[in-house]
Amino acid sequence: MPRPGDDRLIAYLDGEIEEGERERIAQWLERDGELRERAALLGESAAALRAAFDEVLREPLPERLIAAARGEAGAVADLSAARGKRWKRVLGDRRWWLGAAAAASLAAFAVGFGIGGGEVGLSGGPAPGKIASGTELVSDTFPDNLAGYYKRYVNLHPGEAASFDKLPQNFHLPNLKPWGLDFQGARFLMVDGQPAMALVYTTDDKALGPVIVVVANSGKPDDTVRFASSGDINVLRWRYHGHAYALAGIANANYLWNIHNDLAYQFDGI
Amino acid sequence: MSVSVSDQLIAVLPRLRRFARGLTGSAVEADDLVQAACERALSRAHQFQEGTRFDSWMFRIVQTIWIDQLRARDTRREEAEEDGMHVGTDEPARRAEARLALQEVRVALRKLPPEQRVALLLVTVDGLSYKEAAEVAEVPVGTIMSRLARARVALQAQLEAGSGLRRSTQDAKAG
Repeated sequence: MPRPGDDRLIAYLDGEIEEGERERIAQWLERDGELRERAALLGESAAALRAAFDEVLREPLPERLIAAARGEAGAVADLSAARGKRWKRVLGDRRWWLGAAAAASLAAFAVGFGIGGGEVGLSGGPAPGKIASGTELVSDTFPDNLAGYYKRYVNLHPGEAASFDKLPQNFHLPNLKPWGLDFQGARFLMVDGQPAMALVYTTDDKALGPVIVVVANSGKPDDTVRFASSGDINVLRWRYHGHAYALAGIANANYLWNIHNDLAYQFDGI
Repeated sequence: MSVSVSDQLIAVLPRLRRFARGLTGSAVEADDLVQAACERALSRAHQFQEGTRFDSWMFRIVQTIWIDQLRARDTRREEAEEDGMHVGTDEPARRAEARLALQEVRVALRKLPPEQRVALLLVTVDGLSYKEAAEVAEVPVGTIMSRLARARVALQAQLEAGSGLRRSTQDAKAG
């Protein structure tokens, strides 16, 4: 039998070798010190790997996982809450929108329209840049409003130039580059009666299309993630701990949901 | 919903969490993944074949969801944080060093290709046989064997390079 390679040595260590071959490998190990050293190192790395994850087995099980295993509805809310906590880290606790409101007023004046200047609809909507007036996140019209905003403003026709507002100083900008989405700029609008930021991301991937992320402070109660579509625009929206969020794009709902998840994961590091 | 499926789910949760932690490298992502797997398992409980291993079925669901997530997003997060596995600054020096060594192992694992990570976690960490791991990964036994060999060699090389192997195994022996 030729000198066993790493694959046979590992199978030997894992007890996955037939009797005859096992004896032959054992004989090799008896007379080959270098092979013994190799086997010892491979065994040690396996032990190290097991040790690195053993502590997970000793951790108490999160309630949300037990609830999920039991099929209890609370698990969904817990998952949403966990995501919400991560979003909260992005926005921080400071009332950034106070500064944003002042900036919005100036920006609105400069470009010739004001916050609260009328509804944006799918048909007959105003010119790009107009925003919805006092739009309620959970209202039936919100997806239409946001979709209209998206179509009119985010999904610009070739040659149209975008104008953006300045981000508040302490605003943590979500990073969507791992999705191939590049931040283009932010616009102010109103959600739940509060100034909000509409963050515009674009991509060369036409299946994914541009994406708009809306973040706002909100005095309204928490609300679970809701999905709606308006034409070919899909919208996810929710409220958590004084913040309102929405995500809109032409991507399918699962894709948007994954973007939402991925954003939350990235925000853990902020 | 089958009560027995729920009971089996709860029993296997610690191992699912460990598997998911190894796949994702993040405590939060791992629990999200396990939760999604639980929800999928309950919604598809009728697909579970009596007489087959429930844990293998669940490992397969976790793996499938994770692969779907990988396909849906770029996972170039080499510097991803080890949330939930931080080294406490008030720990005795030796214990802190040992934990750092174990963290090296986890980081080394994350540098492996996904399919090698799956093989390592199923066989080396969870103790499944090659045949059982092959059923979970839905590949031939020979494929698991070769993935495992490549993974073990790469892992050992990374640990040797980072000198994490000796420290972590010493810690493991010290208990």
